[in-house]
Amino acid sequence: MAFYTLGLTFWIVIALTVVVLGFWIYGLYFNFKKWGMGSTGYQDELRHSFWLFIATWIHEAFKSGIWVFVKTLILDVLLLRRTLRRSPVRWVMHMTIFYGFLTLAALSGLGLFMDIIEHFNVLGLAHQAEMVKGYMELPFDIFGYLLLFGATVGVLRRIFLREVRSRTSAYDVVLLGGVFLITITGFYAEWLRGNSFLIGDAFANPIYAPHFSLLHTILALLLFVAILPYSKYMHVIAAPLTILANRGGE
Amino acid sequence: MAEEKQSPAGKPLISGYLMSTQLMELDGCTRCQECMKWCPTYDVYKDRPEITPMYKIAKFRELLGSQYGLRAKLFGAKPLNEDEINQFKDDTYMCTTCGVCGTVCESGINTVELWEAIRPNIVVRGNGPWGKQSFFPMLLGKDKNPYQAKQEDRLCWVPKDATVLEASEIAYFAGCTAAYRQQALGVATVRILNALDIPFCMLGKDEWCCSSALVRTGQRPIMRDHAVHNVDAIKDRGVKTVVYACAGCLRTATVDWPRWYEGYIPYKNVPLAVYLREKIQNGEVEWKRALNDLNVTFHDPCHSGRHLMHINGRDWAFEAPRDVYNSIPGLNYKEMTRSRELQRCCGAGGGVKAGQPDLALGCAMARVGDGQAVNADVISSTCPFCRRNIMDGRNEMKSDIKVADQVELMAAAMGLDVTIPDNPYMQYQEQDEILCKGEVCQLEEIAETKAQDVDAY
Repeated sequence: MAFYTLGLTFWIVIALTVVVLGFWIYGLYFNFKKWGMGSTGYQDELRHSFWLFIATWIHEAFKSGIWVFVKTLILDVLLLRRTLRRSPVRWVMHMTIFYGFLTLAALSGLGLFMDIIEHFNVLGLAHQAEMVKGYMELPFDIFGYLLLFGATVGVLRRIFLREVRSRTSAYDVVLLGGVFLITITGFYAEWLRGNSFLIGDAFANPIYAPHFSLLHTILALLLFVAILPYSKYMHVIAAPLTILANRGGE
Repeated sequence: MAEEKQSPAGKPLISGYLMSTQLMELDGCTRCQECMKWCPTYDVYKDRPEITPMYKIAKFRELLGSQYGLRAKLFGAKPLNEDEINQFKDDTYMCTTCGVCGTVCESGINTVELWEAIRPNIVVRGNGPWGKQSFFPMLLGKDKNPYQAKQEDRLCWVPKDATVLEASEIAYFAGCTAAYRQQALGVATVRILNALDIPFCMLGKDEWCCSSALVRTGQRPIMRDHAVHNVDAIKDRGVKTVVYACAGCLRTATVDWPRWYEGYIPYKNVPLAVYLREKIQNGEVEWKRALNDLNVTFHDPCHSGRHLMHINGRDWAFEAPRDVYNSIPGLNYKEMTRSRELQRCCGAGGGVKAGQPDLALGCAMARVGDGQAVNADVISSTCPFCRRNIMDGRNEMKSDIKVADQVELMAAAMGLDVTIPDNPYMQYQEQDEILCKGEVCQLEEIAETKAQDVDAY
């Protein structure tokens, strides 16, 4: 089934991806440089240095030794211990969104890589690349459902918990709405392709499937990847870096 | 001639003080709203969510973005709106820097350090501090204490028959409040140390205010003088251990002074509760009275608890004072619902007592309510300033609850005479008194103090 539609070609999509990734990397650099405006120590002058931010972060993160760093990385960054202490519901939500999104992003990257191998028949591995893409369908589904679950919990919290709802800003709506939209379009794309886990080919529609796949890809690239460093999405990167710099926090 | 205050318009938003990792922390907030559940000042002003950490971080990030964000880079920074900055200043100073927000923060943001790093920028810009807080540098610079008291009177409360050495391996750093406003605490401490045959010295007129008030309110310039002076004065006496019965002094001496002192600091700072617990556990303390079956609850001071738990450990921060209470005969220990690292701040810290007394009072009343909820007869603490504010809350509520320092309860149970010798500051005393006749001890309220202080935390 054709993936590229509406006049898009493989090359256009690759170029678009490179541009978006470039924009993303620049965004990260911009943020690091913005943070690097700060000082390197207590009661110190402003520095305005990207590299001094990196150096300061490393100094802070490893201040108590590598073991504390590793422990913090595992318990507080990967297992979100601080969230679990405060709210098990929020922990489930964050864990499912975190691992769902992260894995899907990694799988998407791998998928793109397989696309390239298949397209150019690199080392004559086009057939194998197609097979790998086939194997990826199940994990795509599993982590997709995981993400859908987390995003749904997030949306429901914002709708049904009065206190949470009353403090929800446009900022939160864009973030959560974005995640939800990307997830839902991803599912539609899968269902319309007719190879979805659980649903099978019940909603298969070869005509609209490429359109939805494209919509999902563009939304993911624009909403998450391109906007990430320039919006509240930045906490996805800044929060783990903060936890590590503060060696697990208070 | 009074110095004319320059307009802050046109001055940069940040001028130093903020570490690069702290700028990163601003982007690390996930807006999970957990801090709002615990913030003691938001509990008082429920209609002002903007004073909560989540909103303050968002606002400061927005202000920084307007100056240093992508749009500012592409099209130039927008002029800062002074009304907005002043509003942010108000919000930032309506915080006791108690740090519970940092304890519950999912992103591990070190909020106490963040607020204390943001405030100096606001001060340098000319927007801060708030109200009476601006008197601190002048008071501490001139008098070396916030009470406009004489330095030579630092030890005027020490009983004639007490033994205080000129130099010793152990020093008792009393702090300004025990020296001038809650002298019963100082007397009780000296009496206990004497009763335990512990040779100790005090700095006397060489003891300058710890300067906690300056750090908390973002007015750092004369902080260095006080830190360096106090450390040198302690070193000059050959001290190896300094004990503190004031949580504010303890925190400042442990965390803040070393940041300003460039040389080696050869002594360790120990909370008095930790020191006394060891003596109790060694069987060196002789109890002579029981405390009339008093229900006592402990208010964990933020400064010796949350602020130090990662430096001194939870045992020193939270368990030592509890062990002391549980050792005092006739004392029924009650735990408040919010305790240890999740305790509710009394409302005095961060310059709030001086700057926003109504807010401080509201927080104190909430804390008195916590004590009432567990049927406590006495709310006790190891911080003179918490005690003072909780007493104010109690008086406002006209509650029967009494407020006493741990050391005074202990001295009473040890049968020690804690009578304050006559001195020029008698009329300014602000503590409930423990009156003991024979085997019976009672707590009496002091209705009002004549002191009109700029409260210094």
